[in-house]
Amino acid sequence: MLVFTRRRQEAIRIGDRIEVRVLRVGRDGVRIGITAPPDVPVHREEIYEEIRQANRASVATQIDLTALAERLRQP
Amino acid sequence: MRTAALPVPADQQPPADDVRQGLARNAVNFPDGIPGFEACRRFVLLSADSLAPLQRIESIEGPPAAFLGIDPRLVMEGYRCRLSETDMRALGAGPDTTLLWFAIISEADGDLYANLRAPIVINPQRMIGRQVLPDEGRYPIRHRLTNKA
Repeated sequence: MLVFTRRRQEAIRIGDRIEVRVLRVGRDGVRIGITAPPDVPVHREEIYEEIRQANRASVATQIDLTALAERLRQP
Repeated sequence: MRTAALPVPADQQPPADDVRQGLARNAVNFPDGIPGFEACRRFVLLSADSLAPLQRIESIEGPPAAFLGIDPRLVMEGYRCRLSETDMRALGAGPDTTLLWFAIISEADGDLYANLRAPIVINPQRMIGRQVLPDEGRYPIRHRLTNKA
């Protein structure tokens, strides 16, 4: 892992399209601004991980499809 | 969450290889994959009368993956998820494009849940799909399905 020391308003460039800038440094957190092209997805890690886990659980889910479909069709 | 494989009734068995090749022509591309299944880039939508209103979203490339999806608007009245410019661009969609929406269904301890937070959105005109991951979602990842869906 590359490790940098950055101060407020200093940035890091990743390739020629992505910039990560430190906006504010507090006692409990750091506010970071990311500039990236629209085709680069940027997510908070825990949200991505949560969705990932949910997807993994969904694909392996044991569901009685026909019964479920029937239930959902009821008015 | 259980980890057993989907017990699929005979008429909903995953298609054989030659069928898969035919399905490939109707494949929906997921250029960014789906979180957890990043290697799966091509999926097909399978529907059957016995399955309605559910649809099966099945990978035809890479590791096997199949999801059950339901239109989130059937699950929650007034469901509305705004797509970002990034999402619209990725889907090749304009303001007038009709998109298909699917909330992924999961099961835990006998209860069924729909993921309303991160729906799968498909642009049928371009056959491009993507799972939308809003950072500030007001809908839950696990919304319990009641008897009335």
